[in-house]
Amino acid sequence: MSEYVLELKGITKIFPGVKALNNVQFQLKPGEVHALMGENGAGKSTFIKVITGVHKAEEGEMFLNGQKVDFKGPKDAQAAGIAAVYQHPTSYPHLTVAENIFMGHEIIKNHMIQWKAMNSEANKLLKELNADFDATAEMGTLSVAQQQMVEIAKALSTNAKIIILDEPTACLTRSESEELYRIVDKLKEEGVSIIFISHRFEDMYRLASRVTVFRDSQYIGTYDVDGITNADLIKAMVGREIKDLFPKPEVKIGKEMLRVEGLSRVGYYKNVSFNVHAGEIIGLTGLVGAGRTEVVESVCGITRADEGKVYLEGKEVYVKKPSDAMEKGIILLPEDRQKEGLIMSWGLGRNVTLPTISKYAKNGICGEKEERELSKKLLEDVDTKAVDIFQPASSLSGGNQQKVVVAKALSQEMKVVIMDEPTKGVDVGAKAEIYAIMGELALKGYAIILISSEMPEILGMSDRIIVMCNGRKTGELSRGEATQEAILELAMEKGHAAGKEAAK
Amino acid sequence: MEKKSIVKKITGSREALLAVILILLFAVVSVISPSFLTVKSVTDMLKNNAVTMIMSLGMLCVMLVGGIDISIMSTLALSGMSIGMLLKYEYISNTVVAFAIALAIGTACGLLVGLVISRADVPPIIATMGFMYVFRAMGYLVSNGGEWASAAALGSFKDFATTKILGLSCVIWVIILCYVVFFFFMKWTRTGRKIYAVGSNANAAEVSGINVRNIKLLVYMIMGFLAGLGGAIQVSVYASAMPDMQLGGEMDVIAACVIGGVSMSGGRGTVLGALLGSLILATIAKALPLVGIDPLAQNTIKGVLILVVVVANVVLQRVADRSALKGREM
Amino acid sequence: MAGKSGRSINNVPESPIKKMLFSWEGILVIVFILVNIFCACFSEFYNLKSLLRQMPVYLAEVFLMLPMAYILVLGEIDISVGSIVCLCATMSCIVCNTGAPFVLVVITALVVGTLCGSVNGFILTRFQELPPMIVTLATQIIFRGIAEIILGSGGSISASNTDGFRLLAGKVGSVPYILFLVVIMAVIFAVILGKSTFGRRVYAIGTNRLTAYYSGIHVQKIRFIIYTVMGTISGLCALFIVSTSYGANTTTGNGFEMDAIAMAVFGGISSTGGKGNLAGGVISAFIIVCLRVGLGQRNVHAQVILLILGLLLIGAVALPNIIGQVKKAMKVKK
Repeated sequence: MSEYVLELKGITKIFPGVKALNNVQFQLKPGEVHALMGENGAGKSTFIKVITGVHKAEEGEMFLNGQKVDFKGPKDAQAAGIAAVYQHPTSYPHLTVAENIFMGHEIIKNHMIQWKAMNSEANKLLKELNADFDATAEMGTLSVAQQQMVEIAKALSTNAKIIILDEPTACLTRSESEELYRIVDKLKEEGVSIIFISHRFEDMYRLASRVTVFRDSQYIGTYDVDGITNADLIKAMVGREIKDLFPKPEVKIGKEMLRVEGLSRVGYYKNVSFNVHAGEIIGLTGLVGAGRTEVVESVCGITRADEGKVYLEGKEVYVKKPSDAMEKGIILLPEDRQKEGLIMSWGLGRNVTLPTISKYAKNGICGEKEERELSKKLLEDVDTKAVDIFQPASSLSGGNQQKVVVAKALSQEMKVVIMDEPTKGVDVGAKAEIYAIMGELALKGYAIILISSEMPEILGMSDRIIVMCNGRKTGELSRGEATQEAILELAMEKGHAAGKEAAK
Repeated sequence: MEKKSIVKKITGSREALLAVILILLFAVVSVISPSFLTVKSVTDMLKNNAVTMIMSLGMLCVMLVGGIDISIMSTLALSGMSIGMLLKYEYISNTVVAFAIALAIGTACGLLVGLVISRADVPPIIATMGFMYVFRAMGYLVSNGGEWASAAALGSFKDFATTKILGLSCVIWVIILCYVVFFFFMKWTRTGRKIYAVGSNANAAEVSGINVRNIKLLVYMIMGFLAGLGGAIQVSVYASAMPDMQLGGEMDVIAACVIGGVSMSGGRGTVLGALLGSLILATIAKALPLVGIDPLAQNTIKGVLILVVVVANVVLQRVADRSALKGREM
Repeated sequence: MAGKSGRSINNVPESPIKKMLFSWEGILVIVFILVNIFCACFSEFYNLKSLLRQMPVYLAEVFLMLPMAYILVLGEIDISVGSIVCLCATMSCIVCNTGAPFVLVVITALVVGTLCGSVNGFILTRFQELPPMIVTLATQIIFRGIAEIILGSGGSISASNTDGFRLLAGKVGSVPYILFLVVIMAVIFAVILGKSTFGRRVYAIGTNRLTAYYSGIHVQKIRFIIYTVMGTISGLCALFIVSTSYGANTTTGNGFEMDAIAMAVFGGISSTGGKGNLAGGVISAFIIVCLRVGLGQRNVHAQVILLILGLLLIGAVALPNIIGQVKKAMKVKK
């Protein structure tokens, strides 16, 4: 027997034109939780797909319990006891939980699916995980956390000895993450080895005993979690030291720009009031699903509020559709860059000028030359790493895509800028650049609303912090009085028990 | 847990609702016209709608994976016309052989459609639109440019539709057989569930080792097979084969599925739904003249019905969403 | 805020001529030439004069391709247009037979078409969740159904006063009016789609509807306008159809939606939205018109022509995909 349950040596994976993995290695000890970290695009996901047999590596060897293996497809990996739980649950929304768990290895007798046996078996697995739903529930009706639990149950149902968790906490609230930690601990006790990918250092410290870092498709090193400092780890991931992550400039706060009074929308949020001044950054935070995004989407006319008033520079405004808000200078940078922010297959230039094409048009015909000049200037202003303005947005990294979204906002006349999770899925290096842009925008006198779930970001960038819980505003903290604990208390004010009851 | 079962009942009650509508429809029509609810009238209705009923099953599979097939009636015409001509010129006389040939032609057509869609990634609506032209034209070519195979030419083949086993026409037995087989296939076999899985989330299916392309190929082959069967049944029931038979009939099949609650975007739909949908459509077609509505208005009513069903779906869903939101505690 | 790195981003576009040579439109032009050579060899009657004489029947369908291209670019589909043509043709014959002036007949056709189109547009924008395929399937059945009811048991109507329609079928020299109209309309539609802000927005909606909405584009208004214009143009098409047959019946316009879609898709306009342009659509429309005239002259059966069209349609979409797949496979092997 080898020391490792899983060992990979000299793995190289080439996609047309790119080396996605360059001679990387990895060792997994039995019963350990091993964190795999690296910036976006470092090759973690590709590496996972090599392990699970989705991709085939061009070079390199893989050993399972000391034996050389060669997976031809996902099925081989499954049979060998390797299961993966992906960041976005890869589930079948129309099918039941039991079917989702047993997809691909249904309980079969005489070529007939044994529904009863499958349901009871699934319920047994769910009970082990303390799940609060039934195996006959339709997958699409469950929350993300519940769906993730189903994914883990699925991994368990294959009797997997190695489970890979790919950014499992990315979409989870804090208490849901706690629940996941508990499950992972339990699995560890049962002798399952776990590979854990995450951007959150918190996850790593809480769970992992060792951590392997990839950077630019290469293996950087494997460290004991207790033996490495946060700064060293960041250095390993980024390749350089990041000194000042939150360059919050001192800005003189100006007059009130936006005031929201008693905004309500049935089922999403109730009686939300707040204001923001010129040059001020307010942080809007709370757990996922607290109604933050929904509030600002109503302010921007994406959805309609049922009640409440919105004042811009002291005058009441009526925003019925997104274009109303834009004309008045309330600009939203949406949460989901790829689905709401950009047209991924379009060139950067056209993306930047999309909201404002009418401004350059003569008699309805687009003024393409003017558009090109402007988009070049704006993209250079935000320091986008791009070759030309015609390359598709999809060719950029997450951080640079976010910069294009900022450039798109800058093409309009802004008064209030609302940034919804601007650094989601952005690696550490690019994060700092986006914070710098945010600071410069504040300096220019725009009023900024920053929505984020990341505590350091909220604490580091905001002048004032507004906390929401369950659709209500539960508190407002000034920069001085805000601490992680104070925010969390407000974010979970009503207690999670009430929420759980409602879910049932 | 209690609340959930109620929700489940509401979402799962689609078939129940359709059944109630069908029963009400039967009741109303038979009150107005007593001649409707006789064994003969009902079996005639089933026989005349056999093609639509059988082919709804194939359309169910195709729509479950998020596809559509509008070439089916051309496949039907090609397979039906082929056996019609073979019988007419006495290359074959055996009914079983005729059926086998029709099924083979249908499956081959389905295979071709499936290959173009699953291997060359042509959108289903475009591919089947093209094949709608191609197969229909091939039907014409087979018929020597528009010849008919009339009742006399078909010999003993047309007896299939009039022969009775256990007091029921063979055609109706074929319908029953198809529905029973599909009911088990879709619910109890792995392949059946794979079709649902691909329709529900093709990417996930790929990752969990399901060959999505082969499943897509399979559903179009099933559709082709049933279209071939439909061709043989059509020729036998109407005792004639002509190249323009069932022109535009694919709309009926799609309509039956849509009324039966099969989602156009895939993943949702049941065999029972397809059955009830096609029965409701057949009953309305049969009932209109009986209740004194001009048969000319039949198409308009059919169209309005589809529209009402899909719009009602959306409205009900919105109401349900709205009330679910109101119930959220804040 | 100046970029710190001072990185420069290129904004000079490639030369358009170079782009055009290797594009689908370039291939289509070659196909167009080949088709004309083929037709000339195939039929001894095939020349410019006979082409101009026999063209009008097929040209009416080219009108439909223009707005259909917009709908396809939106990533949607309208299969009710054939039925709208049928209903408009029926109504215009009825108004014509009352002895009303021809202007009124024209207005009737256009208004009926616009109404039908706006019904589609209304349902689709009011209930956005519905797929256009199913809505226009229903209205396809309804519009033709209404025409069937109006036409009664006879199933056909002929225009008693054909003077007006004869006027429509008129010519300047040997060039029929309809050809001028088709060209003018094609230029207008192509410029709006390719160069205007409206067109840019249509592409935006077709590529990513959500981003378009978040960027302040009036998605539903644009969809409504396009479906309504589709109806209006169907009315126009109906007028020219009646001007070649002097009547209407329950099968008038049957399959027109398929022809219009086939022309557009063959012209490189993707049915999944956001891709293609009207230049390709127009060239492919004329390829199909020439092919139909040429084959028709030698009495090739209409069904055979449809067979060729069907194969063209499938091949036009399948071939580039297959070539792409093969290329990819080769690259991976290397």
